Amino acid sequence: MSKGHMAARRGFRAMHVRVRFFATYREVSGTRQLTWSGRDGATLGHLVDDLITKFPRLAGYRDTMLLAVNHAFVDPSVRLREGDEVALMPPVSGGIP
Amino acid sequence: MIDLRRGQIDVEAVVDGVRRDDAGAIVVFLGTVRADPGVGALEYEVYRPMALRMLEDLAARAKSKFGAFDMAIVHRVGRVPVGADSVVIACAAAHRKEAFAACTWAMDEVKRIVPIWKTEARTARSRRKRGRATSK
Repeated sequence: MSKGHMAARRGFRAMHVRVRFFATYREVSGTRQLTWSGRDGATLGHLVDDLITKFPRLAGYRDTMLLAVNHAFVDPSVRLREGDEVALMPPVSGGIP
Repeated sequence: MIDLRRGQIDVEAVVDGVRRDDAGAIVVFLGTVRADPGVGALEYEVYRPMALRMLEDLAARAKSKFGAFDMAIVHRVGRVPVGADSVVIACAAAHRKEAFAACTWAMDEVKRIVPIWKTEARTARSRRKRGRATSK
């Protein structure tokens, strides 16, 4: 068995996902996108926790943050996969009908 | 027609896109940039692939939910000046009641769930006034 397979069996395999920031979150984080590396099996919630550590000013927005994986809204409990595209988005434009 | 575009929206072309002989009504909604105090334009930012997918889905749902024949949704992105159209929705149906209902529902959904954000671009006069206020 190769070293890679052994690492995967132990759950140490690194996973890379593309993270995109929009509107206020782009301004707060100072970036449009980044590549996040996490353990295989990590959830979207883990990623958000990690990014809040990296960009503490995002913490105040957590409750209203919209999250999407591969262009669909999802819950923080969803498990991420290699190559996913994650988006962190503030509530959309809204307005009075 | 589902589109997110930088330039001016050709409303006539959007309407023609849904026009058909068995329709007795085409309802067209234009969302325009309002001249609120100090606002010279609105700047729209979009998460393009997700917004396009959601607009396609909204148009399909509007058709099945209200029995409309066709729906077109075109939204501008980038800077849109006061008075210009920022969004156009056209809906064709057999009768006006379904067309109005589908159009109203679709516009509410666009505002509620489609990843498009707007920020106000201030007029030069408003920026000067603000600058004076903050320098004191």
